[in-house]
Amino acid sequence: MAIQTDFLTYRLTIGLSTMEGRGFYYPSDTVIGHNHHLYVLNRSLEGVDRGIRVTMCDLDSAYYGTFGSYGESDGQFVWPSGGAVDAQGHIYITDEYLHRVSAFDASGTFLATWGVHGSGAGQLEGPSGIACDGQGNLYVSDTHNHRIQKFSASGNPLLCFGVQGSGNGQCHLPWGLTVGPNGDVYVADWGNDRIQRFASNGAFVASYGEPGRGHGQFTRPASVAVDPEGYMYIADWGNERVQVLDPDGGFVQNLRGEATLSVWAVNFLNVNKEEGAARARANLEPEIPLSDPDDPHEVSSHIEKYFWSPMSVKLDEAGQLYVTESNRHRIQIYGRTA
Amino acid sequence: MGTDNIALIAHLMRRAGFGATRTEIEAYAAQGYDATVEALINPANPQWMGDYMIRRFHHEQSGMMGPRANGENWLYRMITTSAPLLEKMCLFWHSIFATGYPKVIHGKVLWDQINMFRRHGMGRFNTLLVELSKDPAMIVWLDNQDNHKGAINENYGRELLELFSMGVGNYSEDDIKACARAFTGWTIGNTEYMVLRSERDSDWPYGRIAWHFERRADDHDAGEKTFLGQTGPFDGEDIIDIICQQESTARFIARHLYHFFVADEPPVPSWPYTPPRHPEAIERLVQAYFDSDYDIRSMLRVLFNADFFKADNIRYEKVKSPAEFTAGILRLTGEFDRPRREMLNRALQMTWMGQQLNNPPSVEGWHQGTAWIDTGTLVERINFASEQFGDVKKPGVKAMIDKVLADNGNAASGEHLVDACLDQMGAITVSDKTRSILTQFALQRHDVSTEEQVREKVANLFRLAAASHEFQRA
Repeated sequence: MAIQTDFLTYRLTIGLSTMEGRGFYYPSDTVIGHNHHLYVLNRSLEGVDRGIRVTMCDLDSAYYGTFGSYGESDGQFVWPSGGAVDAQGHIYITDEYLHRVSAFDASGTFLATWGVHGSGAGQLEGPSGIACDGQGNLYVSDTHNHRIQKFSASGNPLLCFGVQGSGNGQCHLPWGLTVGPNGDVYVADWGNDRIQRFASNGAFVASYGEPGRGHGQFTRPASVAVDPEGYMYIADWGNERVQVLDPDGGFVQNLRGEATLSVWAVNFLNVNKEEGAARARANLEPEIPLSDPDDPHEVSSHIEKYFWSPMSVKLDEAGQLYVTESNRHRIQIYGRTA
Repeated sequence: MGTDNIALIAHLMRRAGFGATRTEIEAYAAQGYDATVEALINPANPQWMGDYMIRRFHHEQSGMMGPRANGENWLYRMITTSAPLLEKMCLFWHSIFATGYPKVIHGKVLWDQINMFRRHGMGRFNTLLVELSKDPAMIVWLDNQDNHKGAINENYGRELLELFSMGVGNYSEDDIKACARAFTGWTIGNTEYMVLRSERDSDWPYGRIAWHFERRADDHDAGEKTFLGQTGPFDGEDIIDIICQQESTARFIARHLYHFFVADEPPVPSWPYTPPRHPEAIERLVQAYFDSDYDIRSMLRVLFNADFFKADNIRYEKVKSPAEFTAGILRLTGEFDRPRREMLNRALQMTWMGQQLNNPPSVEGWHQGTAWIDTGTLVERINFASEQFGDVKKPGVKAMIDKVLADNGNAASGEHLVDACLDQMGAITVSDKTRSILTQFALQRHDVSTEEQVREKVANLFRLAAASHEFQRA
């Protein structure tokens, strides 16, 4: 298949860096609810009890409030990592420090929490990525146990697959995962620089990608989404980009990021006029002799529009891709080119 | 393998690194002292936990907006690196070219500065000074963005001469002005926007943007300048070349190296009036500076191989800085086999001991030596060490206890138990007084009928030894 460089087109950016209320702070994942609300998980600063929360908003930048806070009680988080939604609209959020999954209803009311810390059957050591299948069950990346576990919505362990390693079907610190159109589970096998695909019973199906910075190569992928046609969208975290692969794993497109000002950002700069004016006079895409121009993390720290720590990719019903960037506290949205 | 050699290697690793386990010391001793020095000053392919692994779990250590993440990240480096001298040299330069968060308000650019020390800290001093003069955090720290053609700001020019190279008494006020003129136009890109955001502590709308150096020809004073007796249309690089030719610069850096690695000198402001503790040692380092064309690595080679460094009478005389003390303990306890949230607490305790990295008390950095110790910080140090060594489940502590018991068995005599513990803590040699106190404890009747109690007794000896004069010092 010929390489297509315009498969996805940039649409808009939402977000603003804030530690409270409307905005995001080191967001780690976004859940697209059935009510079209977005639930953005904010990891915030460590060692500070502000900022950790789930922000509820939508694609039009309407803001619906927050829920959750820093702590170890019910409904609280320390290291919120991944989120998923089930058919009832309930939101499930992993905490990779507390080794548990917490469930909330669509309005953010706490429902339940489950998870036992450990490496035994059904136990968790740093759960991160989470995804719901068509039957209401949850797949969880059991990161430090280097495996994937499947649970019922109430936390009963159903299935476990993967062991530490780099062979087919083995994992090294798996992170984000998703369930594909036919029920297969796609895993961002972070430490092995690849995407692995498993059947719903845990059998290895395929592996996509290899270590590197070229087309079809990955550096520590964080997240994967799969559309109804089987196209894969990968948050190629260590390369600070998003890659699109065709259903067979062939390279389609690389995105480096092209963020623009969100509604909330425009609002901020309109109110803080001195800062807005100084920004307008600045060159935000300067030519810089960097100490390490081949380090995309370094480049992204200087060029604001580029992805910086793209940690999650999610698709909505319309096929739009939401890229959550931890270090830029925002979500860039892309759509299929007409 | 001679105990003299083990003790010497242990001394080297305390000073040029953060201490070492007994196993590591034996491996270095097998290579030999000279080869170990070479490996330290020429680290090939340094290994550590790595940025990807840390950023994966500590998200703030990727974006680095705030004041603490860069110090936590640096502490990870210190405790997991295979090239400890590289990190010690970063600490060395950080204590001289001290730059701090409260004015810069940007964690990433401070982290960038430490990375610059990592690249150039053991190279040629003139290269390091040029890089320092272009360093965005330093530019803002000392206001060089306000140093304009026709309207100079002397802050950077003055400190470059006074604190970073020559020391007071070796230049005139006119030299300072000429120096400042040479650095006009050395600023950061998008100065207005970046400085405004810094002043407002603004991370809106999308987090902080890293700073970059920009040389503005239209704001540079290219006119004739007379600096330290030489005249020409000097730019910043020319000024640094002249600075590096000065004997006062060689002496200043030599004394700093001696102060940091060998034995405590008085605080820097008194150097013009107080002769060095060991003038011959300074002479040898000055000679190495000029012989090598200002190469810091060559000065270090001379220093570590010199008798004045190997001498018995300077061992256990330097008070460990909080960073050295904390990193040394965490290397032994092996707690951070992977990123763990507990790092926040460990770095915070280092702050309570008196040193928050990237936040020095002033442009003069931290005063070293016994200035680290007061009644408050000493208690913090002892409590911290006691807490870390008292956790027998930590992998490093567990391994140390295993080795002590394997060497001695459960029924070891008090003296042997003490020796084995000191050995596992890094082949430490102690005074008779310290030994007597530790032995007294080891001989006390303890209820050690179970293996757990035996292990606890050994851990308690580690805790007690960590409070000793010798463990608190390097």
